[in-house]
Amino acid sequence: LSVSPSDLTAVLPELVLVAVGCVLVLLDAFAPSLRPRFAPLTVLAVAAAAVLRWVTPLSGAVWSASLTVDAMARFVDTYVLLAVLFAAGMADPYLVRTRARLGEFHALLLWAAVGAMVMAKADHFLLVFLGLELLSICLYALNAFHRDNNLSLEAGWKYLVVGAFASALLLFGIALVYGATGTFSLSGLTEAPIGRQAPNDVLLAAGIALLLAGLGFKLALVPFHPWAPDVYQGSPTPVTAFLSVAPKGVALVVLARLVAFAAPEALSSGWTVLLAAIAVASMTLGNLVAIAQREIKRMLAYSGIAHMGYALVGVVAFGMDGLTGVLIYLAAYTFMNVAAFTVVSAFSEREDEPHLLTDLAGQGWDRPVLSFVLALALLSLAGIPPTVGFVGKFLVFRAAVNQGMVWLAVVGVLNSLVSVFYYVRVIYYLYMKPLPKRVPAFSEPWPARLVAVVCAVAIVVLGVLPGWLMSAAEAAARTLAR
Amino acid sequence: MEGSLLSLLIFTPGATALVLLLLVPREAERAHRWVSLLASLATLGLALAAWSRFDAADPSFQLVETRTWLPQLGIAYRLGMDGIALVLVLLTALLQPLVFISSWSSITSKVKGYVVSMLLLETGVLGAFLATDLFLFYVFWELMLVPMYFIIGVWGGERRIYAAVKFVLFTLAGSLLMLVGILYLGYLAHAQTGAWSFAFDDMRRLAIPMGEGFWHSPQLLLFAAFALAFSVKVPVFPLHTWLPDAHVEAPTGGSVILAGILLKLGTFGLLRFNRTLFPQAWERATPLFLTLAVIAIIYGALVSWAQKDIKKLVAYSSVSHMGFIILGMFAGTVASTQGALLQMVNHGLSTGALFMLVGMIYDRRHTRLIEDYGGLAKVMPLYTGAFLLATLSSIGLPGLNGFVGEFLILTGAFAATPTAVILGATGIVLGAIYMLSLVERVFWNELRHDENRNLADMSAREVLAFAPLAVFMVWIGVSPGTFLGLSEAAVRALVGG
Repeated sequence: LSVSPSDLTAVLPELVLVAVGCVLVLLDAFAPSLRPRFAPLTVLAVAAAAVLRWVTPLSGAVWSASLTVDAMARFVDTYVLLAVLFAAGMADPYLVRTRARLGEFHALLLWAAVGAMVMAKADHFLLVFLGLELLSICLYALNAFHRDNNLSLEAGWKYLVVGAFASALLLFGIALVYGATGTFSLSGLTEAPIGRQAPNDVLLAAGIALLLAGLGFKLALVPFHPWAPDVYQGSPTPVTAFLSVAPKGVALVVLARLVAFAAPEALSSGWTVLLAAIAVASMTLGNLVAIAQREIKRMLAYSGIAHMGYALVGVVAFGMDGLTGVLIYLAAYTFMNVAAFTVVSAFSEREDEPHLLTDLAGQGWDRPVLSFVLALALLSLAGIPPTVGFVGKFLVFRAAVNQGMVWLAVVGVLNSLVSVFYYVRVIYYLYMKPLPKRVPAFSEPWPARLVAVVCAVAIVVLGVLPGWLMSAAEAAARTLAR
Repeated sequence: MEGSLLSLLIFTPGATALVLLLLVPREAERAHRWVSLLASLATLGLALAAWSRFDAADPSFQLVETRTWLPQLGIAYRLGMDGIALVLVLLTALLQPLVFISSWSSITSKVKGYVVSMLLLETGVLGAFLATDLFLFYVFWELMLVPMYFIIGVWGGERRIYAAVKFVLFTLAGSLLMLVGILYLGYLAHAQTGAWSFAFDDMRRLAIPMGEGFWHSPQLLLFAAFALAFSVKVPVFPLHTWLPDAHVEAPTGGSVILAGILLKLGTFGLLRFNRTLFPQAWERATPLFLTLAVIAIIYGALVSWAQKDIKKLVAYSSVSHMGFIILGMFAGTVASTQGALLQMVNHGLSTGALFMLVGMIYDRRHTRLIEDYGGLAKVMPLYTGAFLLATLSSIGLPGLNGFVGEFLILTGAFAATPTAVILGATGIVLGAIYMLSLVERVFWNELRHDENRNLADMSAREVLAFAPLAVFMVWIGVSPGTFLGLSEAAVRALVGG
């Protein structure tokens, strides 16, 4: 394997993150007094990685064509880095409060990001797998970061078992696809001799089905979703925020790649129907079950299942419209979910107690800024304009309508209606429920507030002026759509 | 400045709301009240400025503004005003400051939230009247939802939560399908012209196929999607069940805005979008809507008659009155449509006034039951006069505004649908019965309750809130031409006559 300079510059952001992660772990062991500096260092590293990604040229295929650094990779990297930035920002005060300010936390977060970034730009099935494993293993540890808390341990354990299962499915799928096509390259699937020999087609179909299942677990799509509520509930809230956006985003991009490269020959209309059915099932089940939840993190978990269903509508529709919609949906989802979890984390008294809806009663008038952010995030999740959540929904439903799948858009909007019920209920608790006076045990320090406010501003600004985001997403979508 | 008058008009309340929200602490209640009142007065001034620049002879959109927004999708920031929109914008701009005046002392908690919600709501309403891009229209349309949810849910009566959630779900159930309709229109525009566009003027030129049957007819399905959204808002029988809850539970200001303006968005939408974009489907749906209108007129009147609560009575009377407006619109002549439009304004004035007056007496006695009153004319002569004027306006006494509207609707529609007119006319009789018997039971008779002996008459502030409405009730009644002239060209262009 010969490494050219362009290969190295292409992965500079990842190298920075890996290196800083290692430094943090060492500092944690040898200079624990520096722990308060870890969060700023993490933020700096992430910012540096983001800047590097935007200043280094898009080199296309690098590392013997196993990685593709294109507009799509840049979009997804920015997305992942943003998620890490937010998670790190809200995590530090949280870790202080829960007496768990350890260096590993930030290092694991950075390495998880590297895994996600590799996965997003991998054009080689085994690299997809490696990226996924790096991401997942870091997350297992992060989920169970509160070692003394049973819920946190349960979350880590559950994510580990389900994650290992998903990885196995994915790996088996990769093996079958390789057997059918003789290539490990995703983009190579377009040239693979598919549809000529009958046994290969069966192998390929089985392989793609397994890949789909593996990614479905990561996306928490129905019927691969049951882990989500427990893991969301038990994980430390900043980890939940990261977990709910970064892995889902990259898994969706891998799925889009798979559809793009395997679609013309192998993904017949039957596959479209299958994907559409998964989308409908995820939206419907997620939204209906979310209504019954009394715990906010669980509610957001089910809402997340539904949201990946909406995003999948964009993948089903595909084309420029659909892909742009998916990417914007992901960006929107990051801001609104992170905003919601930041506020939930700020409002929770203790981590080992459930985050009940009723605990929010009357907070709207007592802690106006954070409550307002939460309300805004929920309205955005509900898809009410002028928020970025509405723009995302508008685009994916538009793609479905333009592809002649009006029924899918109708199912989508009816689901939005159902979802409004439980989102609005939270707002009811915040502002309309007279509170049993409860003095907050602590006041949330500025980093968490900053994260919340930045997300809120992004929700509104990108909702009113989505032009810049649209252009970026279109440039990214152009790499896959024909 | 000249080129962005409509933007200024729409965003003056919204921008003020943002400034209040972000910069003014909530303890500064006086500042919130004054600033919001001044902002709404400034909006009224801008609406009058728009009126002065408006050419009533021209049926097309005027004071047009176009700015690029999302060119890839054919979405632009497009505003324009025709005569129909002008009339409703003026009504909105007039009612808003009166609402602030009337709730000056009745809203005492969370003043900041109240005025911010109200101002955001006004921006949504004005934007929906003036948007000429379907995407932009939808954004403004939904923008109204959340402030109203808060107004009902936070400052409302006992069952406010139920009412607020019902309002949100009913409204959204209709409008989300309209969103799919808008998307489909965009798709059709691209298929027929090769360019993406959500501009109303481009949509108007589309040939939307009628197809066979209902489920295979794009035009009928689109008509249904839009009509559902607007019918919920109007509300058309049998989609009206959210209305009594929302109107009764909302605080006085919320009820005035709901009845006075938000309901008009439904009828406005039917006229602007359904009538223009789906003419054949409109024809096909006419018998259905005429039937529902007649049912609403009679049913609403009968239910009003049976109410024991003054506010509920007024709320159900809205169902009946909105039925008249639907009747006039679907009868489809120039006179009946003009009448329907005028009646939208009339209903805004008279029902707005009635809700305001009910609120005043509720503030004093904290009951709205008819049986708790009686003989009020002896202690509150001024209030009695005001209530009587609003009642007479509402039931269509000649010389007041309601008469002109109802007369135009019924005469205009008679040639087209005599049966509907004859049945609908009974609603006027019923209206007179229930409203006058309300007046009798509340104001005449004996002063039975001792609590009522020392009720204070209308204060100067309350008179100030009511007087402009009274002026317009008489003005429109005496000289309807001033107002009918504004919309005539637009209505003629719409109806074709």
